Amino acid sequence: MALALENVSKHFGSLVAIKNLSLTFDVGSVYSIIGPNGAGKSTVVNMIAGSYSVTSGAIRLGASVLNRLPKHRVAQLGIARTYQNLRLFDGMTVLENLEVCFFPQSWLTYLTGARRLGKSERLDICHACLERFGLSDVADTLAGDLPYGRQKILELARAFVTEAPIVLLDEPAAGLNHTETKDMAALIASLKRADRAIILVEHDMDMVMSISDRIDVLNYGELLCSGTPELVRTNEKVQEAYLGTTEELDTIRKLAQGRRAQGGLRSNAGIVRH
Amino acid sequence: MGTSVIARRAGLLATLALCVILLALVPKLPPYYVRVADSILIYIILAVGLNLVVGYAGLLDLGFIAFYAVGAYAYAFLASGQFDIHLPFIVILFIGAAAGAIAGVLLGFPVLKLRGDYLAIVTLSFGEIIRIAINNADELTNGPQGIAGLDRASLFGLPLTSPVHFYWLLLALAIIICASVYYMERSILGKAWRALREDQDVVRGLGINTTTLKLLAFALSAAIGGAGGVIFGSFQRFVSPESFTFQESLLVVLIIIIGGVGNIVGVIAGAIVLVVLPEVLHFAAQYRLLIYGIVLVTVIVLRPGGLVSPRFNLSFIIRKVRNLWLSPSKT
Ligand SMILES: Nc1ncnc2c1ncn2[C@@H]1O[C@H](COP(=O)(O)OP(=O)(O)OP(=O)(O)O)[C@@H](O)[C@H]1O
Ligand SMILES: [Mg+2]
Repeated sequence: MALALENVSKHFGSLVAIKNLSLTFDVGSVYSIIGPNGAGKSTVVNMIAGSYSVTSGAIRLGASVLNRLPKHRVAQLGIARTYQNLRLFDGMTVLENLEVCFFPQSWLTYLTGARRLGKSERLDICHACLERFGLSDVADTLAGDLPYGRQKILELARAFVTEAPIVLLDEPAAGLNHTETKDMAALIASLKRADRAIILVEHDMDMVMSISDRIDVLNYGELLCSGTPELVRTNEKVQEAYLGTTEELDTIRKLAQGRRAQGGLRSNAGIVRH
Repeated sequence: MGTSVIARRAGLLATLALCVILLALVPKLPPYYVRVADSILIYIILAVGLNLVVGYAGLLDLGFIAFYAVGAYAYAFLASGQFDIHLPFIVILFIGAAAGAIAGVLLGFPVLKLRGDYLAIVTLSFGEIIRIAINNADELTNGPQGIAGLDRASLFGLPLTSPVHFYWLLLALAIIICASVYYMERSILGKAWRALREDQDVVRGLGINTTTLKLLAFALSAAIGGAGGVIFGSFQRFVSPESFTFQESLLVVLIIIIGGVGNIVGVIAGAIVLVVLPEVLHFAAQYRLLIYGIVLVTVIVLRPGGLVSPRFNLSFIIRKVRNLWLSPSKT
């Protein structure tokens, strides 16, 4: 199964967040979408998941046009996701956070009792998933009571528990410390499977470089470059987008020196206060 | 097995026995007290029903009493000289529940896109619209005069005439409804409702149709309201629009908030407090709303989660009891 973005654009009023983006994602690989803040990465994730409408273009999964479907239908077709800012069901237990994913998907199956899964089957799957993600010991803890790092892992588990063929991960390592980030990278790499595409949005370059089969770089809503980690690493346009051109860097350095002479950079003062 | 376990088991048995004895003794009390007990049970049924929507699905419905009215008028239409239809009570009980559910879905469809305050305002208006419509549809409902002389209900050949009969009927219905709602709460449906209350967008992102989920809550809750209304109609043998004012909707919501949102035990406690309090303070009858207000503010200030802690719920009690019997070391 393949997911394809065809000439997708997204406008927020006059702001063009995504401009004519075409990308294809196949099962069996890990894809990373990277780019500076505000480049439009989360917007892409939100459009695929059906949270944002698209302004023009089409998003296809197999024969279905996702952007014409309501959000829950998109999810039913096999698209699961995590959120840039944690969105767990804090007042429910870790186990319940997973169980809820197995709610019967239509009226009819619910009323006729022909549920998708029996209760014991459902629990078996959820427990196996908790085991897989190292959360068995906290199965009955409220999700909101977990430490941040484990909440991130729980959200990951929730995205994988239904075995969706397309999994979108929006910054799974955000806010994690160095060790946790490394563990997270290893965990995600281990989740790569022939019948699953993982689409990762991430700022941590070690993680992106180590686990991606392809990296797509966005800048101001446009695809800057796309290819293997080596190709992206050495691409000049990418370095410019992230660091600025050498001339720009020079200018910034000079400005900074000038300001310092006048009594310190304002942005520095802000950082110190934190 | 230590003596302490035996003592605890004995204590538990004694508590259970006491509850049963108290419930069984109510009919022996003077009629006034039996009526108060009936009233408590009716409000327990209504509040447990509304709690499906407010407590589980997290949707503030301020027009709940409209479904109660639908049930009461279903009885009035189908068991009186009004249209000269005289169906048996049990049949109307189901019709009333179904009519309530249909009204719930009809209300639900247009309003479920709304959230929070907006939903509260629209449901409030819905409740008032139903009452005003009943008030004005003279040919059907006799308007403000109401419909009198409703049939005496009977159940399986036993006539329901006195408050004591209704006490047993209401007690049975309350237990059945609490048990079903408890079952629902523990099922995956209950979990989906709780998730919905926390984050509706994420629930949709899991592939769940949230509109269906909310409609289901509305329909089930309205069905309970409708069934309650049928019993109310058969008990009073008289219905008129003034029984279904906004104040009544408010009272049911207050029972939930004061008792403990989303907690059956809390709702039962809330119903007892809010029905008994005005009876105790009957000399201050004209200050009823003021009393509710004072109780509400006191509870919100002192126990913001309601009188009964969210942890002290039916699952907790059942787990305690089960553990005491099966694996006493855990308790
Ligand atoms: N709901 C929205 N309404 C208006 N503008 C939005 C909305 N969502 C995103 N934007 C704008 O679209 C642009 C892209 O935002 P997006 O969140 O996709 O960036 P991002 O690449 O995920 O950045 P970050 O790395 O900070 O998460 C930004 O300029 C942002 O302000
Ligand atoms: Mg983002």
